[in-house]
Amino acid sequence: MRLTAIILGLAITGLATAAVAQTAADGQAAVTGSVSNVCVLGAPSPAAINLGQLSSTSGPRAGKLSTIADQTVNLPSSWCNFGGTRLSISSTALLAADTSTPPPGFTRAVNFNSSVTTWGSPNAQVTTNAAANGSSATANGDSGVQADPRAASLSLQLSQFSAPGDGFLVTGAYAGSVTITLGPE
Amino acid sequence: MRVILGAGAALALIGAAPLAAAQTTGTVDITGSVGERCEFTIDSGLITLGELSGTGGALDAAVVNGASDTLNGWCNGTAAEMTVEAHALQNITYVGAPPAGFETVVNFTATATATPSGGPVSANDSSAVAGAGAPSVVGVFSSDIDVVLSAAATPGGGKLIAGSYEGSVDVTLTPSP
Repeated sequence: MRLTAIILGLAITGLATAAVAQTAADGQAAVTGSVSNVCVLGAPSPAAINLGQLSSTSGPRAGKLSTIADQTVNLPSSWCNFGGTRLSISSTALLAADTSTPPPGFTRAVNFNSSVTTWGSPNAQVTTNAAANGSSATANGDSGVQADPRAASLSLQLSQFSAPGDGFLVTGAYAGSVTITLGPE
Repeated sequence: MRVILGAGAALALIGAAPLAAAQTTGTVDITGSVGERCEFTIDSGLITLGELSGTGGALDAAVVNGASDTLNGWCNGTAAEMTVEAHALQNITYVGAPPAGFETVVNFTATATATPSGGPVSANDSSAVAGAGAPSVVGVFSSDIDVVLSAAATPGGGKLIAGSYEGSVDVTLTPSP
């Protein structure tokens, strides 16, 4: 009788072990990656602007800067994938290829305003302030900070063309430039 | 202690009996059991993808697709199952909703493959759908569990916002449903 009790006890122990021993298991593979800070400016369209004849050829303003229409350059598909960016403009006035100092009343420079919309607040804009002899031809302007990542088609507008002292333009070819930079503030 | 000694004495008497009378036998049955069990021998891994964006700033899916790591585990029950739950790569640096045209999430499908003696058994899950994928019966096995990523995509196909991205793949071995 006592032996029977012991055997029964063993059987119960075995059953109890089977009932509690189901064990699940979890494994995990972590996955990591990164994305670098990138800014891209779309290719300017048009890439170059030819203003043609700059001075009036007849009338009361003959020899002086004629009225030049505003010019627009598009930079489509421009973007930065991070916040805290700024757009900067560096503009150089149109200067005559002839670097000689012009006589009084004449000028070899044509100034203009450059502005780019829709990036930061305020927009980036700058007006060149070259002297008649072409000195101090380059000017820079920055936008406000663009806080968030942004993708946009930018528009550069050139306007307010003027000659220092409204002087007579010396003859020859003129060239200027606008450089736009998109990057961290 | 006293009880055990009593039982031992009874057995000794039975053993000595053949010399004096008819044979009799006492039997002690011995039973045991093995519970259904699954364990990982290697329960963690790391898949480092590096730069996720490609030309144009969108996801370079080729960086994710085919990336892999290996766990190792076993189950001792014929009904054991394996499930996978994929958790998307999330930008952990950028706070807030992404601006229009940008993304902070990279979804993917994770496939885990164990190799029982009967041949490979796989389970998978897409991070684009909440919860784990359907379980697959792996039965009794002890093998590597290969985890492979595929079908990487961002929800809107936009550009990825800069920063660090983290996700994971959970593999669960269950002894029985």
